[in-house]
This record gives sequence, structure tokens and C-alpha cells, in this order.
Amino acid sequence: MDKKTVTTISYLSRLKIDGENEDKITKDLQNIIKFVDQLNDVNTSDVEPLTSPLEKTAKTRKDQVTAKNLKKELLKVAPSTNEDYFLVPRVVE
Amino acid sequence: MSWETVIGLEIHAQLSTKSKLFSGGSTQFGAESNTHVDLVDMGLPGVLPVANKEAFFKAVRFGLATGAEINQISSFDRKNYFYPDLPKGYQITQMTKPIVEKGSIKVITDDGEKIINITRAHLEEDAGKSIHDLFEGETGVDLNRAGTPLLEIVSEPEISNAKEAVAYFKAIRQLVTFLDICDGNMAQGSMRCDVNVSIKKSGDKELGTRAELKNINSFKFIEKAINYEIERQIRVIENGDSVIQETRLYDSEKNETRSMRSKEEANDYRYFPCPDLLPVVISDKELKEIKDNLPELPEEKEYRYISKIGLEKSEAKIISSSKTMANMFEEASSKTDDTKLVAKWLVGDVSALLNKDNIEIGESNLSPENFGKLIERITDSTISGKIAKSVLEEIWESGSDVDEIIESKGLVQIKDESLLEEIAKKIVDSNPDQVAAYKGGKDKLFGFFVGQVMKETQGKANPKSVNEILKKILS
Repeated sequence: MDKKTVTTISYLSRLKIDGENEDKITKDLQNIIKFVDQLNDVNTSDVEPLTSPLEKTAKTRKDQVTAKNLKKELLKVAPSTNEDYFLVPRVVE
Repeated sequence: MSWETVIGLEIHAQLSTKSKLFSGGSTQFGAESNTHVDLVDMGLPGVLPVANKEAFFKAVRFGLATGAEINQISSFDRKNYFYPDLPKGYQITQMTKPIVEKGSIKVITDDGEKIINITRAHLEEDAGKSIHDLFEGETGVDLNRAGTPLLEIVSEPEISNAKEAVAYFKAIRQLVTFLDICDGNMAQGSMRCDVNVSIKKSGDKELGTRAELKNINSFKFIEKAINYEIERQIRVIENGDSVIQETRLYDSEKNETRSMRSKEEANDYRYFPCPDLLPVVISDKELKEIKDNLPELPEEKEYRYISKIGLEKSEAKIISSSKTMANMFEEASSKTDDTKLVAKWLVGDVSALLNKDNIEIGESNLSPENFGKLIERITDSTISGKIAKSVLEEIWESGSDVDEIIESKGLVQIKDESLLEEIAKKIVDSNPDQVAAYKGGKDKLFGFFVGQVMKETQGKANPKSVNEILKKILS
């Protein structure tokens, strides 16, 4: 975990880190990873990976449409819309 | 230098469920924008996804039909990236434990048969749609599609050329439509694919660096995009450069692929188990039920048509090639004992019309019910085969009901034998020269008289009756 990784991750997560905080955050993350890395000392070769701490399986749905048309309400809570779409700054490939 | 091509396909098949993978939103295609959006699809705070079991059953069907291993315990991961049509900021997918692993499918090309192995098929949710060209400086987002269940089918890198890739895609499409798990509609985006292409020196063991081609939605473009990309990579290497691993967009208008640099920056998806979802379990009982109810697949149909019904191999192949075609055959066969006649019509007149318009049977105006009725009207002698051809053409244009066409155009076959006799006599009397020649031994002239009677009756006479009547008169 170096400064460059922190910059990359902050970009990928769209989190802005101030220049002055960069060193501190990098150091914090290094410490966190060091702490978590202790887990590598445990032999887990016979342990099934855990997908959830709850030892339960999912309740599922029947294939039925239950949603109502919420177009008006949903468009209303977005920062920018017209009568049909959510609008965002132009994304071009 | 000679080069070998190595291709792998990732096919996204939209599963034909009524509701979405994790919400009760409708998956209906073509609805008004943003009307099929549930709170879960929007990714609003406080909502939780609940899995739609039917999507899992459909995925299992695919697994069983490809002889794959089924993971009865399915877990989910988050694939993180930011794009406006992905409101949650992550896609729920199956990274670590796909529901289907290690299957295979047989592909037939001009070079013969080949088994292509399927690495995995996993469930994931689709994103919404971005509309780029409607607004000045802005992009519109329609979330109707967000959350629609997809089965991503990943092949091993075992495909050797563009034609084989197309054949593989077609085989998968045929299978998912027969299994009734995806409608296979490419124009509506129900099936899309990404293609991984690399080249290596002939005989080399190690794979070359691959490029991933995106945005391909037709058979024609798969072939063109791959062929363009192979040539590009050969050019790059022969110029002394090396191929870089990247995502490339296929531009069908310019017939070229170009780098999508923006995708590269975000190539780290930081997968982790989705904490919102518990593992979904397919019980032994459910698995058995799916297995017991698997529909008949194309190869099995072809075999049955040949061995039980007595069709020619070539006929059986055409008829079992698509689900709609097979439905037509089976629907019409239930209306008559003359299944060979049904096959003859499908392989003959119907196929000719399909070729002429260059469409698939599912895109035509002909429905299995209407086709069945057409055959029924031939076998119950309401119309002659010749009239049936014009009725078929009329259906082809308008999609109208067989009986309505017959009635509105007055096409019912003349059953009144005395009327036919009258017409036949008139024809014979007005052609004394031909009668003399016929009686003098020119047997072929018999067809002339039949033709004249059919012309006089505008094709509405039953050729069999006409034959009998003419034989009687001319003897």
C-alpha cells in the first residue's frame, strides 16, 4: 500500500482525498492492512470460505411483478431530469 | 509466418423471467422509460435484494443441458464500478461460485463437428440504458433494464476462427431458445457478446495477449469484428510491436475496432462477497424436478423426426433447427396424419419465403396455429395445394387468419362434381384438335386438359377429382 495505490483507489471509489491528508491516510491504511495480515498466519487449508456470518440460506421470491410505476416519484428525487430520463453529464466513449 | 487464432466468447443471455433478478420490477421490453423501476433497482438506501428463484431454475436448465456441474449453493459478489446506468455503484454477480461450471456444447461448421467447452455460466444483473444522442451535453438514463437477470456464458479459449465463433453463438442461441430460458432476440439485445481474441505463432503452446471486443450484437458483426481484429494483431506483431491487453469497441459503420481507454482506467473491479445476500440453495428435489422436465433438445428432436416419423435427415435438420420451426411442425402434425406433407411445406414453400426475405421463422407473420390450420384446410380438401400457396403468401404479407383469407377471397375448393364435369366437358369440346392428338397417342396432352380446367376454376378444383373426371370423358 503506497501513495500511488491510495490515489488509484480513491479515484476508483470517487472519494476525494486532500493532498495534506494523503500521507496520513496512506500510513493508516498500511497499519490496517498490517493488522489484518495477521490472519495469513492461520492455516485455513481445511476451512470453507465463508460467504456470510449468518449460517442461513436465502429466502427467495416467486417470479412475480410486484413493483408499481414510480416514474414520477423517482425522477423527482434525482438532481437532474427531464420528463422521461435521469440526466447526467455527458458520458462518451 | 503463419498465425493461429485463439478466441473465447462471453455471451450474455437475458433470462426470460417476468420480474427482475433481485426485485419485483417488470422485465418487459420496450416499456415507457423508467416505468419498470423498483426501489431495489434504483439502489435507494435501506432496500435489500431478494433473489428470484425462477432465474436460478433457468440457469440450472442451461447447466443440465450442457452436461455441466451445478453448484447447488450459489453465492454472490459485488463488482464495483461507476457508470450512470448502474445506480448502486456495483453489479451483483457470481465471481467465486458460479451456478454452472464445466459444460460443453457441440458446434457444427463446414469443417465438421467440434466440442467447445464452457468454463462457467453465472447469474448477474443487467445495467440500465444510457441514451447519448438525444440531449445536448447530457446523457439520459433509463433504468427499466437495470436488474434484469442475465446468464453470462463463458467459453474456454478454444475457438479457432470467426466462422466457428459464429457457429458457437448460434448453437448457444438455439439451445437457450429450446430450453425456453431466453427469447434469443438479438435486435432487442436479449443476447449480446464480448469476444476475446488473441493470436500466436502456429504450434506455440502459450497464448498471446488478448484484446476484448465489446458491443457486438449480430452474427454478421461477430465475424467481421473478429476478422478485423486478427488482421490488426498480425499487423501489430509483424511491425515489431506487441499487442496490449485492452478493451476495444467494434464500430460496425467503419468496420474497425478501436481502443476504449476509459474502460482501462477502471479495470479494477474490487470484487467482494455481497453482504446483502445469503447463499441461494437449489435443493435435490428441485434439481431432480428440473432434470425430469427438461424439454426435448434440437438433436433429440431431429433423431425422433427421422426414427419415429420417418422424415428425411435433411428435412429433420431444417425443422429442428429452431424452436418456432419445430413448434410449427408439431402443431400442424397434430391436425393431420400426413406429417410428410407438413414437412414438405416447411422445408419447401415456407423455407423459400424465409430465404427470400432473409429472416428467421420467428420474425415472420406465420404462427404455428395458423400454419397448422393451413395444413388442415389442405388435408380436409377445403383448398387445393396450389391455392394454399397463395394463402401462405397472403399470410406472409398480412398475418391474417387462414379461414378469413379463404372466405374473403372465395377460395373454397369446388366440391360439386357435376359442376366440375360440366367445366371439363366444355374444355374438351372446345379443343377438338388436342382431343384428337391425345387419342392418337399423345399422352402428355392430358396435363393440358387438367391445366385448362384448373385455369377455368381459378385453381379451386381438386386436382384429383379433375384427373378422374377427365379420364372418364377422354376414354
